[in-house]
Amino acid sequence: MSTATIHNPTKRMTKIIRPPALSLHGLISGLAELSHYRDLLYTLSLHRVKVRYKQSVLGIGWAVLQPLSLMLIYTLVFSYIARVPSDGMPYAVFAYTALLPWSYFANALTNATTGLVSHSHLVTKVYFPREILPLTYVIAALFDLLIASFVLVGLMFYYRVTLTVNVLYAIPIILVLTGFVTAVSLFLSAIQVRYRDVGVAMPLLLQLWMFATPVVYPLSAVPQRFQSIYVLNPMVGVIESFRRAVLQGMAPDFRSLAVAAGVTMFLLPLAYVYFKRVEATAADII
Amino acid sequence: MIDLKFDHVTKVYRIRQYDTDEERISPLLRKINSLRRPRHEFYAVRDVSFEIERGEALGIIGHNGAGKSTILKLLSNITTPTSGEIRVNGRLAALIEVGSGFHPELTGRENIYLNGSILGMRRREINLKLDSIIDFAGVREFIDTPVKRFSSGMYVRLGFSIAAFLEPDILLLDEVLAVGDAAFQAQCLQRIGELKKAGTTIVFISHDLGAVERLCDRVLLLKRGELAASGAPAEIVTAYQNDATLSSESVEVHKKGETKEIEIRTLSFRDPEGRIRPAFRTAEPLVALVEFEAHEPISDAIFSIIFITAEGHVLCELTTETSTERLCVARGPGTIEFRMEELALLPGIYFTSVLIKKRNAPDLIHCQHKSTVLRVDVGKEVHGNFYLPQQWQLRQTEPASEDNCVPTGS
Repeated sequence: MSTATIHNPTKRMTKIIRPPALSLHGLISGLAELSHYRDLLYTLSLHRVKVRYKQSVLGIGWAVLQPLSLMLIYTLVFSYIARVPSDGMPYAVFAYTALLPWSYFANALTNATTGLVSHSHLVTKVYFPREILPLTYVIAALFDLLIASFVLVGLMFYYRVTLTVNVLYAIPIILVLTGFVTAVSLFLSAIQVRYRDVGVAMPLLLQLWMFATPVVYPLSAVPQRFQSIYVLNPMVGVIESFRRAVLQGMAPDFRSLAVAAGVTMFLLPLAYVYFKRVEATAADII
Repeated sequence: MIDLKFDHVTKVYRIRQYDTDEERISPLLRKINSLRRPRHEFYAVRDVSFEIERGEALGIIGHNGAGKSTILKLLSNITTPTSGEIRVNGRLAALIEVGSGFHPELTGRENIYLNGSILGMRRREINLKLDSIIDFAGVREFIDTPVKRFSSGMYVRLGFSIAAFLEPDILLLDEVLAVGDAAFQAQCLQRIGELKKAGTTIVFISHDLGAVERLCDRVLLLKRGELAASGAPAEIVTAYQNDATLSSESVEVHKKGETKEIEIRTLSFRDPEGRIRPAFRTAEPLVALVEFEAHEPISDAIFSIIFITAEGHVLCELTTETSTERLCVARGPGTIEFRMEELALLPGIYFTSVLIKKRNAPDLIHCQHKSTVLRVDVGKEVHGNFYLPQQWQLRQTEPASEDNCVPTGS
């Protein structure tokens, strides 16, 4: 029989639970608590990846299969049937390069939005910082992106695309994208708690969003007079710059990327404060 | 040293009003209408303040809807108060529902890590406790099996072991011991005792008044969201029982203008010698005595006593309805006695309703709802949901020799 150890009173954390309020203080204390729970974030993200592939035959192959099959369809439609320009690159690799960050964004957002609601059994029974739930979906999608990138390397080798040092720009670009998808996920998953319409509307929203983003066509195909409005979509800068850096060996499109970074920096703290406000009573209405 | 502090805490829930038919079809219409209608507010907890010292075991009792579970949810920060402040000093583990933090697809081992990190623990801390958790739960062979394949017993055992061995500073327990077999319950109580000795602060919410009395140093009684009393366990438990008796509401269902044909006076639970007792044990003999006053003679009356669990479910009834004998009641006072050789109910608190009606007539003549409370304490050890009185006999063609009856190991 084991015995319980005497608790060390010096290490205790005091937690004060107060009525919910929108405040900047919530932002700081929230982040401090999140860092305390980082092991849960790690454990849950790991489980997210494991569970997803556990009872599927193809397992990790699904991470590759999704962008790959989309690439085949889009190549067929937009290259063989409709002749969409691709900045002189082979269309297949052109589309796949954009589909990588786009799939990351779309998958993270789709799953994260329903993240709180689909874990209502946890949310109503135990406490932990709730933002961990949407965050784990973002991390799991990031992991899929990594796996799917290996296929890109293969494709680039096949089409004899040469890598330049500019490929390193992919890292800050993915960082901006991660910040942006996190902000949107926090917003939407919080709204989803009360209004399930968000989750239902998500496939449609993403479909529209994708066609408003240079995924299946290049930014250069957008008429010049629309471009100033067009680049307000933060995903434009991310996708276009990613493709330029990785595939075309060019520097990112700094103008549109700056818009994406700016929007992200503005949105992220706002989304987090809003999320923490909703979190406080989420268990009552979920 | 105060570990938990409730400072004038109030929790209000807004209740949606009854939806009209059109509103049920169109949620948008409902939304619009709800803006115009006044909101109904329900005070789940109203201005409650209390403190819990380090190492103290506090019991919280009260009827369903008295606010017990809301207090637990507030303490564990699952939800936040509408006003007031709660201070929690230390790591808190809540066992609100056994296995509530489980992920069905993951193995037992992975779920231990998951639950540990939900408690805010580091992986290396969990590594140290892994073996004692698995051993206490007795699930070593299945620890790498997804928990969705676990039996419900294994689920319960693993859930309790995780909460009890991850050594939180404060442990919240809500009715968790109501599940699982008697042997495991005893094991759990022992473990809770150990934790208490080691200085863990415990908050225990239960309908099992016997367990509350044994385990707790102090008990709070809640009534309709407010703190009604606080004090020594025996004292508060008695107050609660008396209160339960007093709060009986007499529902009379008979047509207007008619005089009452028969009235129920009292229901009491007695031992075979006729002494009224506050509590009985499982498998003890019991007599239920209804006293009534008949204002008119009734031919073919039916008497029933219904037992209702603390959660409000009808459990069983004693009734004269199935008897072929006609019960004719003459004018004047009288009693009817139900005798039970062995009480089949498990430990707990049960409400009763007494009904009198006429055979072949749908209307009740008189009904006393939640009139008397029957408290059952731990008696004969029972596994399962109720005690089944039994007799048994062993038969074999060759009777066993004396040697076979020697206990093993000697």
